[in-house]
Amino acid sequence: MTKKIFKNIFLVSVVVLLSSIVIIMGCLYEYFGSVQESQMQDQLELAAAAVEDYGESYLCKLSSDNYRLTWVAPDGTVLYDTQTDAKTMENHSDRSEIKKALTDGEGESSRYSTTLMQKTMYRAKRLSDGSVLRISVSRASIGVLVTGKLPWIFLVFSIAIALSAILANRMSEHIIEPLNGLDLDQPLENDVYEELAPLLGRINRQHLEIKDQLRRLQRQRDEFEQITDSMKEGLVLLDTKGTVLSINHAAQKLFDIDISSVGRDFLTVDRSLDMSNAMRQTKENGFGELRAERNGRLYQFDLSRIDSNGEAVGMVILSFDITEQEAAERIRREFTANVSHELKTPLQGIIGSAELLEKDMVKPEDKPRFIGHIRTEAARMVTLIEDIIRLSQLDEGAGMPRAAVDMLEVAQKTAETLHDAAVKKGVTLSVDGVSAEVNGVRRLLYEIVFNLCDNAIKYNKKGGSVKISVASEESTVSVTVKDTGIGIPPEYQSRVFERFYRVDKSHSRASGGTGLGLSIVKHAVQYHYGNIKLQSEPNQGTEITVILPK
Amino acid sequence: MRIRFDEQLALLNKELIEMGALCEEAIALSSKALTAADKELAKKVAPLDAEIDQKERNIESLCLKLLLKQQPVASDLRLISAALKMITDMERIGDQAEDIAEIVCFLDGRSAENDDLMREMARTTIQMVTESVDAFVNRDILLARNVISDDDIVDAFFDQVRKKLIDKIGKEPSDGEYALDLLMIAKYLERIGDHAVNIAKWVIFSVTGVHKEE
Repeated sequence: MTKKIFKNIFLVSVVVLLSSIVIIMGCLYEYFGSVQESQMQDQLELAAAAVEDYGESYLCKLSSDNYRLTWVAPDGTVLYDTQTDAKTMENHSDRSEIKKALTDGEGESSRYSTTLMQKTMYRAKRLSDGSVLRISVSRASIGVLVTGKLPWIFLVFSIAIALSAILANRMSEHIIEPLNGLDLDQPLENDVYEELAPLLGRINRQHLEIKDQLRRLQRQRDEFEQITDSMKEGLVLLDTKGTVLSINHAAQKLFDIDISSVGRDFLTVDRSLDMSNAMRQTKENGFGELRAERNGRLYQFDLSRIDSNGEAVGMVILSFDITEQEAAERIRREFTANVSHELKTPLQGIIGSAELLEKDMVKPEDKPRFIGHIRTEAARMVTLIEDIIRLSQLDEGAGMPRAAVDMLEVAQKTAETLHDAAVKKGVTLSVDGVSAEVNGVRRLLYEIVFNLCDNAIKYNKKGGSVKISVASEESTVSVTVKDTGIGIPPEYQSRVFERFYRVDKSHSRASGGTGLGLSIVKHAVQYHYGNIKLQSEPNQGTEITVILPK
Repeated sequence: MRIRFDEQLALLNKELIEMGALCEEAIALSSKALTAADKELAKKVAPLDAEIDQKERNIESLCLKLLLKQQPVASDLRLISAALKMITDMERIGDQAEDIAEIVCFLDGRSAENDDLMREMARTTIQMVTESVDAFVNRDILLARNVISDDDIVDAFFDQVRKKLIDKIGKEPSDGEYALDLLMIAKYLERIGDHAVNIAKWVIFSVTGVHKEE
């Protein structure tokens, strides 16, 4: 802008300068021409009067470089010339100014000599004797004049140009300076050219709008981030090229990366083939899913393409941790399989014995044994079904009456009930501790202690011991059943509370359990909002502590 | 022009990661097939190897195109030249994974006998391959150096496996073929480890411009 202003100012001054020189020179030329002409007239008048009085002698005395005087006889012969010898000059009667003077008394003409580049003006007057006096003066043309004065013109011109350049520069800078000094952050604070006011006003308005929009965007982004970051599910947003646009905390943890992955290709986050395939499928079909293991946990990935106006603009990957869900599903599947198996086994025994009896293939003395077998198997089934019913009751969480129950009393009662079984197995059973009351369901609490003790006796060694101790703490009551039995190997410890789970995979009925005991314990304890602790060492014994809130 | 160049470089990066992922998958599959003696799993490796070979050709032509048309300099040039070298190593990893899978088919359902040792060796090798690809993905020099030093572990495993197999042949000369097959597998795993080291070295080169010679 400064340059443009400078250029314009400079151009204007140059043009003005040039044109004024031309005009002034033209005017002066005209003026001097007319002055010269009147001078010439005066000189002619004077000379004519003098020639009339003194004749040729006046002309001889006259010496002038400026004027040339020629005296011509009426027949055209030159009588005298101030610059040339008259005798050598030709007849002048055909010259237009002389012709005119001869007829009218006065005459004038001018001739331009291209060789001398000058104009010669003639003026002639008829004297009283009929001869003619002519005066001539030559005058250089404007071109010659200019050429003669060229160095001076050039000097003046360049001084003027330099001056105007400096001034134009100053001026343009001066005009631009306030524009450069504009504070665009606060457009309305500026006090410069009033022509700028609408522009500044508009800038101010747009400033405010931009600020407002930025604030709104920031708020939206914050909201989005807060929501996604507090999500338990992993969320990744990708653009069409597969570049990560956003990745929330859960997903960062899942893929074991940090926020720096935003802006990079998703391949740098997860490059597994399953994921690439699922992404390819999603690009084509609009959705895709994948179950895959990451960091030792099982995840379900739901992928879906984001379309806007029928065009794909990106992709969302949502991930759920389904480790527990999968485990629960597995347990349920196993439970169904186990239930069928457990129910079928005694029935097979019953059917077999019954068939033998039916076909009379049993010796009479063996009959009681077979019938006894049928009865024990049926009894076993009943126990099993009772256990299942109890478990499903616990699952349902059916409201059972709660009352204050003394756990020591429960322990003692259990010990009494199991006394015979313990004696049979050759195990000593002892109860100690203080009496401590728990607000709970008597039947379930009894079930807990009973099942724990039952197991402790069942899986004990001959000559071993089972100790039940009841302790009261500030807000809890703990019941510990400690045995010196076969123990549980560490790898199975987390699974013994599952339904039908048995460390002894043979499903042997040697111990006579249903595989539901500990499962019932777990559910009953959960029903009372309690905890179970299990400590066990193979061949050393097991210690199970149940902690119940008072 | 430059935008196109950047896009092509990003594409090269992407293709390299994909090829790395394919290699990881191939070696993971064949070692799984080895420990589980699963012929069906082993048969899945061959198509993967074919895919790896295809990727190698794609990346090669992409690299040459970039070199000829864009005349890259500095780190871009290093990335492309490193890529050209890396794909050779990756392709070899794919081939050797396929070779292992082939031997697993010959083993006729017998799993690797000195199980723990082989499994550990396979695990370390897979980890090396994974880490070398990770090092490339994140331009992680430390991780790359880690891979280079891990090679000694795999070499040590190979020596142990070899000794065990020699003992075995001494004890049961009739089972020599089986022992030799296992030795081949161990050798392949050891070679895969070497290729992972090469990849790691090229990663270091592409970042620092210095290629570490042995």
